[in-house]
Amino acid sequence: MRSTLSLKDRFSRWLPRLVLSPSLVAIIVGVYLFIAWTGWISLSSSKMVPKYDFVGLEQYIRLWSTPRWETAVANLFVFTVLFLAITIAIGLLIAILLDQQIRAEGFLRAVYLYPMALSFIVTGTAWKWILNPDLGVEKVVNDLGWTGFVFDWITRPEYAIYCVVIAAVWQSTGFAMAIFLAGLRGIDTSIIKAAQIEGASLPRIYLNIIVPMLRPAFLSVIVLLSYISIKSFDLVLALTGGGPGNSTEMPSTFMFSATFRRNQMGVGAASAMMMLMTVAAIIIPYLYSELKEARNEH
Amino acid sequence: MKLITLLAASISLLPVAAMAESKGTVEGIHHWVSESEVNALKVITDKLASKGYTWQDSAVGGLSGANALQALRTRLAAGNPPTTMQFLGYEGLDWAKEGVLRSLNDLYAKNGWDKALAPQLLVFVKSDDTFISLPINMHRQNWVWANKAVFDKAGIAEPKSWDELIAAGDKLKAAGVVPLAIGDEPWQILEVFEAIVTDVNGTEFYKKAVIDLDEAALSSDQMVDAFDKLRKVRGLVDDGFTGRDWAVATGMVASGKAGMQIMGDWAKGEFLAKGMKPGEDFLCFPTPAATANFKFIIDAFGVFNNDDPAVIAAQDAWAESIMDPEVQKNFNKIKGSIPARSDVSVEDFDACAKRSFADREAAVASGNMVGGLTEGFAAPPQFSGVFSDVVGKFFVTDMSSKDAVQALVDGINNAR
Repeated sequence: MRSTLSLKDRFSRWLPRLVLSPSLVAIIVGVYLFIAWTGWISLSSSKMVPKYDFVGLEQYIRLWSTPRWETAVANLFVFTVLFLAITIAIGLLIAILLDQQIRAEGFLRAVYLYPMALSFIVTGTAWKWILNPDLGVEKVVNDLGWTGFVFDWITRPEYAIYCVVIAAVWQSTGFAMAIFLAGLRGIDTSIIKAAQIEGASLPRIYLNIIVPMLRPAFLSVIVLLSYISIKSFDLVLALTGGGPGNSTEMPSTFMFSATFRRNQMGVGAASAMMMLMTVAAIIIPYLYSELKEARNEH
Repeated sequence: MKLITLLAASISLLPVAAMAESKGTVEGIHHWVSESEVNALKVITDKLASKGYTWQDSAVGGLSGANALQALRTRLAAGNPPTTMQFLGYEGLDWAKEGVLRSLNDLYAKNGWDKALAPQLLVFVKSDDTFISLPINMHRQNWVWANKAVFDKAGIAEPKSWDELIAAGDKLKAAGVVPLAIGDEPWQILEVFEAIVTDVNGTEFYKKAVIDLDEAALSSDQMVDAFDKLRKVRGLVDDGFTGRDWAVATGMVASGKAGMQIMGDWAKGEFLAKGMKPGEDFLCFPTPAATANFKFIIDAFGVFNNDDPAVIAAQDAWAESIMDPEVQKNFNKIKGSIPARSDVSVEDFDACAKRSFADREAAVASGNMVGGLTEGFAAPPQFSGVFSDVVGKFFVTDMSSKDAVQALVDGINNAR
């Protein structure tokens, strides 16, 4: 009797590990092993096919003296900052407005959320036409009579990256809105009422009470959007193809062209490692603080 | 009961059917997926079928063959290469260095194919002393395509120098036509730039600067001058050139919205598809050079090492199908290029192809036939990539010619 119980006990103790082990193996091989492999390749002289020699940091030096890579890194920062700030600001504003118990809220929510259902390829292609001065906004406004109107950012290397921001914001705002709306729904309305009785104005209530209470929603939005911005590849390819004149190059498009189109596998691997380090620099402190908080709660 | 007899009958027939059908299979990876390309390929595979072999198509389209190369890498890593693979530019030579390609020396010796090929072309077909690939066609890169009605109306004849071409463009602009149809994709701009470099300075300079990547030639005044000319060409382009596909640009010339386009002879198919006739509705002439030159691009097939005599026999049949003069003729009539073999008659080809064929003969004789940089037949991709980066950036910004030359030299040195 006792022995069967302990067998059952042992089995139930081992079951979670058994169930988890296949996915653990898959992740170790598919993610960490290949991260290590990429790291190794970035230290080799690999060109068209992997070569397992050692040349130290030569590929990193080569990477950092490539002007296109510098453009890509600068673009990543400009894009991430603007994309996050604008998406969050507009998403939050729409969420707050939708939260005012308005009519047809379900319909409006669907309208704002719909761009999220499109792939970045579709978004990029559509915005390529909308932003083209001979086909899109500029032409429509000119045809309406305002002939002096100029909106040709997509043709100008110094502004083209903002076009990528516009398209990405259009795509992701609804998503930010949905998360903020869920957060707002979780806030007890009696808080608002209590504040109103105290005589606080509505903007003040939102700014000082509601928004700080949305902290978890902010964190999810920031993490998810930053990861969209770091892996943004399809949007750039569809919208500008990295142009004009490589001015909208991103680290991900740089990595692809170096590795697969220019026989510079070593440089491509080095750029992938740089991307990994950037992500790690953001994610590790975040995970650390989250885990610390979880531990403190106990 | 009926079903069972049917099954039994079909099973007993199976081996017979298979035997009658094919002596073996030739599997090929290629990136020909458009309608004319598929029809052209069918000319080769029909010939293969007449030799008793089955063609197994493994087309991987997209990105000028970059996706197909990815597929090949995977197959080679898995130890399961296809029978044959389409190569552009240095790809074949690179794979030969990896030691995966079969030597075709026996077939070349037996059939004397090398005598039918231009010597400049052998550079891409032969790795050291080993023949490694089978060229099927040759495209010419340095063409100008013009709308004849637009040219006649503006009173423009075929320009004989780049200055004349730019002057003609100004005339077209005055007539309210977009002078030059182009997109802002770096490769489209690079086609124009390398034409200027070669046409103005000659093929010797091109070889030194672009193929040998000689630093003195790259940083020379001729290079600065070429960028100056490209800056003038920029003035012939409309504002809507962002993200414009080359075929859309060809369409602008065809419709008369634009006067001309500088593009390889794959653009011809776009005119022909609209029912336009060369010489009557549209004009084709080489980019204006002081000394005529010919920029070539070839598509070639290589075959992979294998010990199985049955596979080797299938490869031989495939090779003989590609190099068959009749196949080369019919293939290229559909594809819009000219036969890679110089000994195939092009009598019943269109006027543009005939001109291409005659120019090639002259260029081979005078030593002015060179590989096109844009399509990967001059410098390897890590260097041609630098050219397209700098030229693409120069075209869309107000970068000075001197800075562009400096960026070019630095970029090339960094990629060495």
